[in-house]
Amino acid sequence: MNSEKGRRKGLFVFRMQEYGVGYLFMLPWMIGFAAFVAFPVGWSLYNSFNTLYFRAGGFSYTWVGLENYKRVWFENSNYRIELITLLQELVIIIPLILIFSFFVALLLNQRFPGRGAMRAIFFLPVIFATGQVVMELFTQGAGELPFIEQYNIEAIIHKNFDERTAASLVGILSQAVIILWYSGVQILIFIAGFQTIPKTIYEAIRVDGASPWESFWKITFPAMVPFIGLNAVYTIVDLFTFPFNSILGIITSNMFSPTTGYGYASAMAWLYFALVLLLLSVTLGLTYRATKGR
Amino acid sequence: MKMEDSIKQIRLEVTKTLSSRRSQQVKRVLLGQNVNDGLVAKLIIFVLLTVIAFLYLQPILEMISTSLKSVPDLIDPLVQLIPRELYWQNYIDAWDGLRYVEAFLDTIFISSMGSLLQVLSCSITGYALARLRFPGKNIFFVLIIVTFLVPPQITVIPLYMIYDQLNWLDTPLVVFIPALFGQGLRGALFIIIFRQFFLAQPKALEEAAKMDGASIFRLFFRIMLPLAGAASLVVFLFSFVWYWNMNSDAAMFLSNDFTPLSMRLNSLTAELMGNEVVNVGAYGKDPISEGPKMAAAFLIIMPPLIVYLIAQRWFTEGIERTGLVE
Repeated sequence: MNSEKGRRKGLFVFRMQEYGVGYLFMLPWMIGFAAFVAFPVGWSLYNSFNTLYFRAGGFSYTWVGLENYKRVWFENSNYRIELITLLQELVIIIPLILIFSFFVALLLNQRFPGRGAMRAIFFLPVIFATGQVVMELFTQGAGELPFIEQYNIEAIIHKNFDERTAASLVGILSQAVIILWYSGVQILIFIAGFQTIPKTIYEAIRVDGASPWESFWKITFPAMVPFIGLNAVYTIVDLFTFPFNSILGIITSNMFSPTTGYGYASAMAWLYFALVLLLLSVTLGLTYRATKGR
Repeated sequence: MKMEDSIKQIRLEVTKTLSSRRSQQVKRVLLGQNVNDGLVAKLIIFVLLTVIAFLYLQPILEMISTSLKSVPDLIDPLVQLIPRELYWQNYIDAWDGLRYVEAFLDTIFISSMGSLLQVLSCSITGYALARLRFPGKNIFFVLIIVTFLVPPQITVIPLYMIYDQLNWLDTPLVVFIPALFGQGLRGALFIIIFRQFFLAQPKALEEAAKMDGASIFRLFFRIMLPLAGAASLVVFLFSFVWYWNMNSDAAMFLSNDFTPLSMRLNSLTAELMGNEVVNVGAYGKDPISEGPKMAAAFLIIMPPLIVYLIAQRWFTEGIERTGLVE
């Protein structure tokens, strides 16, 4: 009886020690999370319900509830338009990046001489696509595809779409190459995804008399759906910091503006976050449904 | 007669099968057994990729060419990709304008120190997630992914206020301290890389070390961390390049005294705009500042480019190893 109790106690102590070591290893991250993520996020949320002003020696808070959000959404029509434009652009850009990277990955997955060098080229922009340099290239007009001018595609777009859609379409086409620069990681993820499909399945379906076209749609594509979802999420997250994303600039300028201040800017940031979360959940939902159906 | 006939027939058959076999062989080499392993298919793929790659790299080529053009070359519509003569003055202007040596050393310092700290903190966290047992591990893992999703726009304002209170603004501390606590630039991704790496290691090694009475710290720092050399290198390289290119954070927190290279381009542009702006004819941009600006952009991306050329294998393998793909 006594020894049983002792053993249990010993086990308990051992467990606690084990857990303690685990938490000890997590400690740096926990401190960092509390200080640089949880606290700022909470504070930002609190700020968004207040009006903040600089005073000598600190801030003065005035609780205003949802007032900031109302002002951002209803009074500042400019911001609302920017958000909607951004959403429109993302809806075009994300499929563009996904299709491009899927296609290139499909080509790069074949065997041919110089494959390694080609892979290196398509990953290259990840290395130097810095905001400033990309902006500079963009203002120089370097991102345009050569055939757009040749075939007068702009005029065709203007003829077939209403003015606003046409404007954002033309805008995206004029930066097409630089947008495609943001597909380096996606290409690698797709290539790695192709490796997960066993070769024997292709052999089996060939013996059964399927054409390559069929085997792509019946085998390759369904197997890649989860990776398409993953890449869509990665693309959305990556585009938060896209240099053409004008939202950050607007938020920053409102931070230091005397008429609006931190609270107002925080409300703007949260509205933006809500939009992004909406986009992410739609993507995840679609992926989930597509994979579950199999 | 009959005999002869049949012999002829047989001969005909034989030559027919022979020739068709040869033609089949040729066909197989050219077209392959599958669609994708014949010579023709390979050639098509290769040409297609070369064309795409050229389009893809076009802005870079244009940047290099512009950076080597003199003002008359820039204005002249006849001069396309290759300048009439190489005009190195742009690079001299850019070098001075960026205060390259000083900014280069600052940026190297920030990037490499920050990356080292990230390797340390992310490997510790990744190890805990992969191997140690404690309640709530899954919650931690979800939280780590969430930190990857929170847009910087949310936290940038409070962080600015915090750093301001602590007097960290315009010092490298704004990079180092978050990196030390696993919240550096894209730290979540690095934690996942380490977790995946440690998960793939055999458990026997740790068990043996534990049997021999090694403490968990000794086990981690003496055995597991050195074992994770490959993962550490991948994390270091990525982190280095991303810190080098760090832009929005740098713009917020490091704007005055301590300016990394990625931010210097702005001030250079402002300086150049101070010169008289000459718009000449069809060339819509300011031809005087364009050359130095492109030279500066090239000078900024050159160091990570060299790192990439040397360590290219690690980068591409690194992504495949993240375990994002399972």
